[in-house]
Amino acid sequence: MPVDAELLEILACPACKTPVVLVKDGTALKCGACHRVYPIKDDIPVMLIDEATVEP
Amino acid sequence: MALFNEETRRSGDAATRALSVTTVELGFVEKVYQGIASVYDYTYGPTLHPGRLEAIEKMALGPGTHVLEVGVGTGINLGLYPSKCRITGIDLSSKMLAKAQGRIESKGLLNCDLAEMDATKLTFADNSFDVVYAPYVISVVPEPVKVAREMYRVCRPGGRVIILNHFKSANRLMGWIEKIISPMTVHIGFTADLDLPGFLEQADLHPISLEKVNVPKMWTLITVVKE
Repeated sequence: MPVDAELLEILACPACKTPVVLVKDGTALKCGACHRVYPIKDDIPVMLIDEATVEP
Repeated sequence: MALFNEETRRSGDAATRALSVTTVELGFVEKVYQGIASVYDYTYGPTLHPGRLEAIEKMALGPGTHVLEVGVGTGINLGLYPSKCRITGIDLSSKMLAKAQGRIESKGLLNCDLAEMDATKLTFADNSFDVVYAPYVISVVPEPVKVAREMYRVCRPGGRVIILNHFKSANRLMGWIEKIISPMTVHIGFTADLDLPGFLEQADLHPISLEKVNVPKMWTLITVVKE
């Protein structure tokens, strides 16, 4: 079950509160402002700063 | 025991330290719940069930109501909501969430979704939900006041913040016992001596109702309507 569209609409980056968008074929969420990428593991977005990577 | 050393005692925010003799660290909480994920439904399931049902009644749920459940755990509540509501569950423990995801899939709960996050840093915009609910969560987090403030922030004006929790008894003897056992109960996942009036004041919550639930009636159901 992919991440729900309504959930995606209200999710924001925990670091800077900017909305996040789906990247990497729907396997991660990226913040457009601070470039942190949050993994989606087993269809569950992991919105933890410690688990994020920063990608240009 | 590492939990009781001075460094640990200093953890948590100042507000929390004033509310309980025990403070816990977030990593510790995550470890406890990662450990009990497989047995939670059997140990904490039935005894705490009546409170869960009463909390859902307090939500005034209608078609399309969007509920955020903070500390969704194994998803034990998810099947209790009407299917026309939308439920988002968050938790810090990935093992608990894996159980919840399994429940969603096996029961076909298509109205539910999950995310892993820290309840003191909810990654939602202000006013995102109609109901924000924390069942048996507030006394297991290091910073209960911060969690309550975050819950209020993401609730829409006119929406409901509902907290189901154990607080220190008003009875002096029970209150004393809870204070003594609090450093021990933390090992099974909760602080026993959280002060209700202090918590409400520090979190700036003004409930429309406070009710005692479960048997024995040691648990409090707090209902707040956001202004």
